[in-house]
Amino acid sequence: MKQVATLPARVLWNAFFWTYERATWQYDVMVFTILAFVWLTPPDWLRDPMASGDGPIGWFLRRLAE
Amino acid sequence: MTVTGIIGRICMLPLRLIISACVALRIHPNILTFIGVLINFAAAGALALGKFVTAGVIMVIANIFDFIDGKVAIEMGAVSAFGGFWDSVIDRFSDISLFIGLIYLYSQLGRTDYVMITALAMMFAIMTSYTRARAESLIAKCKVGFMERPERIVLFMIGAFTNRMAAVMWVIGVLSVFTVADRIILTYRELRDARREAVV
Repeated sequence: MKQVATLPARVLWNAFFWTYERATWQYDVMVFTILAFVWLTPPDWLRDPMASGDGPIGWFLRRLAE
Repeated sequence: MTVTGIIGRICMLPLRLIISACVALRIHPNILTFIGVLINFAAAGALALGKFVTAGVIMVIANIFDFIDGKVAIEMGAVSAFGGFWDSVIDRFSDISLFIGLIYLYSQLGRTDYVMITALAMMFAIMTSYTRARAESLIAKCKVGFMERPERIVLFMIGAFTNRMAAVMWVIGVLSVFTVADRIILTYRELRDARREAVV
């Protein structure tokens, strides 16, 4: 029970204190998370000086609101 | 086999041919390193002009040189202490030049916010290398933290090719802060443990 309670904390700590090698499944997860942030976050949210628009997340949220 | 592992193996196929060609032509690895930084300066120029796709293409070419120099040195039997030092120094010039290109672009656009974000990302990217180099003069190995040079370079390319450089600067900045913190924590722990063992 104690282990279950500390699991999210351990995941967060392991993501912060990164000791995994490249080409491990943990590395893949990190890479996909980063790519999701880079490609899905609407440039307008980040006030990107070179790109504009809602991006996939903004488009999805707009569809949801319609 | 992981996805990143498969991508790495696919990328290695053409690189093997280039490495073999350089070995056959007896091109000295230190010259390859130097050519790499010169091409990276051109990529920085393209970034400064806001020509991201051009910058991305130039970065791919520059980093081929950057990647193969060590492998060519091994295959030619030309590994030397100076070669390692030269490579590290030149890599810092390459790193910093790309950030400076972006800082110039954002300042031209009057975007002080992204000038600061990029400058901070640059500071922590440099500190990532420095903390490891300094730590490894005190402890055996300090290879922790996610955001090392290959990750930074690939992110720069992704940002350039897909016009998502702002998001990339955020990622490099935040994860470089974590990487520097990881290295400080590891070094502190290792030195503390060594001190305790010495006392006992």
